[in-house]
Order: sequence, then structure tokens, then C-alpha cells
Amino acid sequence: MIEFTQDGPFAEKVDHLFPDRVRILGLGQTGAAACDQLVLHGRPGQDLWVFDSDQLTIEGSVVPNKHLLGAKLVHGMGCAGDIELAREIVVQEENKLAHVVRGCDFLILLVGLAGATGVALAERLIELTKETGAKVIVVGVQPFGFEGWTRREKAIEAIAAMRREADSVLVLSHDRLADHPSTAKNIRHGFHLMHGLLAKTVQALAQIVCKRGLIQLSFADVRSLYGRYAGSEALENCWVSHVEGDMRDCAEDLVAELMEGALLADEAIWKQIDHAIVAVSGTRHLGLSDVQEMVSVLKDRLPANIPIATSASLDEENHEKVRMSVLFAMTAPVTVDTSHGALVPVKKNRPIAETGPLPTKDELEPPITEPVPQPAKPSRPPKAKPAPAKVEQPVQMEEVEALTLEAEPVEAPVRSSARTKSRFVAKQEEMQFEAPTRGRFEKTHETMYRGENLDQPTFRRRGLKIKV
Amino acid sequence: MFWGKSRNIIVALEVGSTKVAAAVGEIRPDGTLALLGIGEAASGQIRKCEIVDFEVAQGCVRDALAEAEQKTDMVIAEVYLAISGAHVRSSNTRVTTLIGNDGDEISHEHLQELQDMATAQPLPTDHAIVHHLLQHYVLDDGTKTDNPIGLASKQLTAHFHQVYGLATRLQTTIRCVKELSIDVKNYALSSYATAQAVLTRNQKNLGAVVINLGGGISDYIAYQKGAVVHTGVLGVGGDHLTNDIVSGLKIPYAKAETLKKSEGSVILNPAEAHDRITLPGSYNFEERQIHRDSLNTIMQARQAEIFEIILEDLQSAPFWHEFSGTVYITGGASQVKGLVELASQIFPCPVELAHQSPFDGDQNYGRRPDLSTLLGLLQYARQAEMELPSARGFARVGQSLRKALASMKLI
Repeated sequence: MIEFTQDGPFAEKVDHLFPDRVRILGLGQTGAAACDQLVLHGRPGQDLWVFDSDQLTIEGSVVPNKHLLGAKLVHGMGCAGDIELAREIVVQEENKLAHVVRGCDFLILLVGLAGATGVALAERLIELTKETGAKVIVVGVQPFGFEGWTRREKAIEAIAAMRREADSVLVLSHDRLADHPSTAKNIRHGFHLMHGLLAKTVQALAQIVCKRGLIQLSFADVRSLYGRYAGSEALENCWVSHVEGDMRDCAEDLVAELMEGALLADEAIWKQIDHAIVAVSGTRHLGLSDVQEMVSVLKDRLPANIPIATSASLDEENHEKVRMSVLFAMTAPVTVDTSHGALVPVKKNRPIAETGPLPTKDELEPPITEPVPQPAKPSRPPKAKPAPAKVEQPVQMEEVEALTLEAEPVEAPVRSSARTKSRFVAKQEEMQFEAPTRGRFEKTHETMYRGENLDQPTFRRRGLKIKV
Repeated sequence: MFWGKSRNIIVALEVGSTKVAAAVGEIRPDGTLALLGIGEAASGQIRKCEIVDFEVAQGCVRDALAEAEQKTDMVIAEVYLAISGAHVRSSNTRVTTLIGNDGDEISHEHLQELQDMATAQPLPTDHAIVHHLLQHYVLDDGTKTDNPIGLASKQLTAHFHQVYGLATRLQTTIRCVKELSIDVKNYALSSYATAQAVLTRNQKNLGAVVINLGGGISDYIAYQKGAVVHTGVLGVGGDHLTNDIVSGLKIPYAKAETLKKSEGSVILNPAEAHDRITLPGSYNFEERQIHRDSLNTIMQARQAEIFEIILEDLQSAPFWHEFSGTVYITGGASQVKGLVELASQIFPCPVELAHQSPFDGDQNYGRRPDLSTLLGLLQYARQAEMELPSARGFARVGQSLRKALASMKLI
């Protein structure tokens, strides 16, 4: 067994950075390995626990607070992917788990989504934590594609179940590392790399939710991107990159290294990413201007439509180091692009702005013969090609765009009022004035399947034409 | 001996969405089953196998039992009840015990211990167990067996398929019968009962899925290597087809039901695209012409959706990846035209209409797929009765007295 000695940054003299407020639990083999990375390369004072049903994993972990579960049932042999067996273990160890969730404000669960013990534990821990009122953030990792469809299906089920219950679920994908040079040489390096990234992700999350920073974000920022109300249905919704450098390094070099992160290698991800959170930490020499410069350089490197939220904190034990972690998120719901069969994000509808009285017809259809000034620069500029310089829009357009939810981009000067009308196409469906009836099944429990009410006629739900 | 001459009568009761039916059978001394008669009553206020109006539903149960008593000249005091509904769930579980005795020989006590462990498994809140169906035992070297008694092993694992449902809804159905002074001796999942009627032991070993298309629900059960590996209940049935016709063609429910049975098909035939069906008028309904294409489109869409959902559920179960058996379809809603053809297009395995096992008695009942659950429940009851230790002495006197008092409506 590896012996863990508390020296250097783990010495007792160091103040605990995350005292009990944030508890980090490594569940299953993946969770345990990620927690090991936190112990070896993370910050001191983290409240770390590790649980698994496999004795080898537990014995090999350097986390002091580690527990073997289900010894009576599986004798330390693990569950070998049997989720039912894992759930039996969870039932047996209920008291132990109930004890773990007490006394913390945030619980971060690290779990491999295709594993049995980790997923079963996560499911139960989420339930128990909700009873205590604490918040749960799940950081999970999808299996490699070559591990088989069965494991992938398990992961999909686990993600769906956790998204229903947990406050935030961050899903990373092992497949992003499939083409990485270190993985190509040795698959264990790929796993090791992912465990390191998971550890950095947890560290960044802990920094954000702790509210002790130079520039503060909060749990609400995390939940707005990865929470169940964020609208994301994508399996993979998180991409992480991390860099650590000397305080004397210039911001360009740090950001350049950051952008070479293993999970960011595939350029296709930039079509999916729509938000970013940056967590910067450094010694007392780290000033606001330094943080501002780094974020500014990063902003220049990212697509223009990605808003960045920044958190910065001071860490006395950083030894003249500056650390920068970026969590990218996809919050747009996903649809199937039938032409290519690939998942593509759908742009979210903009919120309806309170703009006072509705514009009149004249405002909606302004006389186009007179030149009018350009609208103010939108907060989120379009990623696609910019509108031609000749385009002229009335001042009222900004209000109208906010009211009509989703306006088509204007590509050419408008020549007629009829054309003006056709430019504004609301994506909202027509409101049904008559609630659909379930006929004979009106008084019964609705039969729901994948969000569809099966008591409604199938032909109607599928839009089939019926000649009466 | 007087008590020994009493006939061994069993009664199966099914409270369905379309009808309530009670079958009276007799277990003969040689163990065979004879069907004595069936009483039926149209269901009222029972939707998707769940009772909407308790008093109306109870009246239907009373009528069905009364008809069965009248036809068979028997007094019904206790019944076996078929349980179903969209609230019924299932899962596979396993329990393990260590064999601690000399020689590591497995005994009856070990099997009983495993059974007790399975029974003690926690269920979701407000749910009650319906079945613990044993799949097989596994020895420490991975050997699977159905009967491990006498074998040597360090540990023994039992795999079970457990079926459970919402306790309140199960109680409502049972109470509906018990309040008529009829004892519910035992109950069985509808799909499990159906399988007893339509599957032979060989078919169960080869692998089979039985889909019972009822009026309010469609339930299904899968067998692999002789054991139940998956069960499911979908709260959609033949009534939904009728309801869709009512909604799409704007005709009364009774007309839609008749139209579905007489003219409807779940296969679209381009040659009939322009055909029209004349709906005869009645005193409050004017004669109308219906596009056959529309009728079939409505029915095909619904039936295909039912099969697709069932297939999706089956594919999500681990057994499906090595399933090489046949899908058997039965139930009242399986009588629509083109059903097997449609199912064959959806399921990637052979599809057949199920046929019931032969029995003594009126063979007309055997040809009705809507009675397969009821007749299967009789088979289940026969098996359960034969496995029960026969009551002796005072117990038998008590049993007979209870029946006699029940017949006089004193208890």
C-alpha cells in the first residue's frame, strides 16, 4: 500500500482552504483515481472521501479517508458492472452513506459513468444529500467508444438519472482523448490524463462555489451552465483545460498552453460550446490587472460568441505559481441533424425583454427610404459572417428583435413593406386554444413515454394527415 | 371418507379493461385440468386495468362471478386473481449465501435462506411485491443450475426476477373482490399467467416473448432458457386504437369499435387507398362514408408505436442481445387484421400468433385469444394447488366450513 506522508503543502500548519463546506467524494475506480490526483497534485485541506466495492482500488488509493463497501456481499471483488448488485451494496451501506452527506454545503461526486458501484452510490448519495438541503455537483466521465455499446448505454442511463436529481452534472468524454498521442501509446496514459483533468475540474468547481475569491462567482453560475434547468440534454456538456505557470510567464504563453488542452483538440467542439467559466488562482502578487489581461487574451483566442465568467482567488501555497482552469459548457438543447445524423445544438431562444409598450405597426415597418443609424452592438455578436456594411436598420429594431424571440438575420436592405413582414419569423409554435382531449382516458393516469402522452392519438402526435 | 370426496375446484378471475371474466376449473385426481365454465361481464369504469369507479367495477365483478356460478353450478368462495396495470414494474436481482456446512453441500435450508433474502430486498416507496420468480442458481465456479440440492459449492447465488407494483392500486383490485365475501387465495401477474397458457416448456427453453395485447394495456413477458428474464406493462392497448379512430374520424365510440373489428387493418395497402367504407346510419347517426386509408393509417400508427415501444424496452434488457426465440402475440386486441405482418416488420425475430395449450372442457374458449390470460391463470392456479401441502384433519374441516359459510354469505 502506498503510504501517504503529510509534508510540504499538506503539512498541518496550512489553513484548510475548503473546510467542510465542500466535500469531494470519489466513487468507484474512476472517482478514486481522480481523488488520488487531488491528493498528489491538488490543494491541501480538501475534504476527500473515496468509496468502492473493489478492495484493490481502495488499497491502492492514497486518499486517507477511504472505505470499502459491500464486503459481505462481494468480498472486495467489485461489482463487475452489475448495477443491481451495486444497488444491493448501497442498500446495505445506507448508514455509512447517510453519515457522509452530513455537515457539508456542497457535495462534489466524481464518478465514471459506466461503472456500477460509482453510479449506484451517486444515485443514492444525491437522494440523501437533497434530504439534507446541500447542493450536489456530479462530475462524470463517459467511457471510451471502443468499450462497447453496453457500457455506453449504461452511461446514458446514468446521465439521464443524475440530471433529473442532481443540481449540476458535468459530463466529460473519454473519447476526446482517443486521438491524443499519450493515449495512442498506452491506453493507461489516457485514463491517467482524464483523472488529472477530473481533479482539476473539481478543484476549479470548489474554488467557484466557495466564494472566497478575488473575483467571485457562485454556485448559481455553475448551475446555470450545468444544472438541470440549463436546458442541456447533451451527453457531453463539459470540456476542461488547465494550465499552471510561473507568475512571470506572460499571459499569451499561458493561454496558448491552455488552448492546447487535450479535450480541446477537436475543432468541432467550438460549434457546441456556448459558455465558459475561468478560474484563476495565484499568490498575493496576482493582481486584478493580471487576471484581466489573461482573460482578455483568452477572449481573443475564443470564438466571439462565447461569454466568459471569471473567478479569481489567492492561494498562499501556490509558490509563485499561477493556475488557470477553464470549464467550457454547452447549454443549448440538442437535436438530431437528419442530413448528417449528427447531434447539433439548437440556438436557445432569447428571453423576452421588458421593453415597455409594444411597437406600433409603423415602428415594425419603418419607412426604408430614410437612412437610419445602426443598432447598438449586441452583447453576443453573431458567430456567422457579419452583415454587409450596407445594411441599415431602424433604431426600434433592437426592441422588436427582443420581442419576436428569434429574428432572421438581415442580409440586404429591405425594399418593400411585405418583405419587412417576412423577416420576422417567430419560432414559437402556434398556441392551441383548445386543450387536446384524451377521450376515453380522461380520468386515468396519463401514460407518458419519452415526454409524449401516449393517450393522445398517435396520428396526431406524428402529424399524419387524415381524410374525414 | 366424506372430506376426501370433495372436488378440487379452482377459480381464476381477471378484472380487465374490456371485460371481467371468471373461469371455473377442476383439478382431476390425475393432475389434469378441466374447464367447467366461464362467466363474463362487460367492464365498466375500468381503464388500463385500473379501477376508476369502485362501485361500478365491483358490480361487474359480481356479475361475472354470478354468471360463472350459474353456468357451473358451483359456489365460488375463493379466486386466483390476475394483476396488471401500468404501475407494475420489474427488475432482476440476485442474492448470495455462503455454504457453511461440512462438505459444502447445498441443502433446502440454503435455498430457503436465499428465498428469504430475496423477499427482504427493499422496494421503491409505496410498492408491494407481486412475484419473486426464480431464474436459476449459480455455484461458485459459475455453473448455472435449476436444482442445486446435493451439489457442493462454497457459495450459492440465486437470480430472481422480481415484479412489484403500487400497493394502493393492488389493494384496490383485491378489495374489490374481497368485499364480495370472496377470498383472494393468490394472485399472478397477467403476462406471467398468459405465458402459462400459450407457451410450452420447450418454447420457454428456446426463448420466447409473449405479448398480450389487451384492451387497456399491453403486457409482455420474456423467457430465456426456461426462466423469466423480463416483464413489462405498457398502458396502451386496443382501446387506444378505438379512441384514435373516434378522434380522427369523428364517429361515436361504439361505431369506431365495430369499424375497427370489421374493417380495420394495421397494414396499409396502396390498392385500397381510394376505397370507402359505408357506416350504416342509426336513429341518432347519419350514414357516412369513411376513407379506408384514413382508418388504416390511424390504426397502423398506433399499433406500430406499441410494438416499437415494446421492442425498445426489450432491447434495453441484457437478455435481448442473445435472444434467438420467437415473439408470440395474443390478447383481445391481437384479432385486428395484419397484426402479425406489422409485428414481423418491426421485430427482428420470428413472430406468430399464440395458440393456447389444450385442456378438457369447452374448446370454443380455447380459440379466443382474449381469454388466454384467464385460462393461463387457471394453469397457474393448478400448479400452485398441486405444490401446496394438502390440508388435513381440522384444517380441512375449517377450509370446507369456510367455503360453506361463504356460500351462505355469512362471512
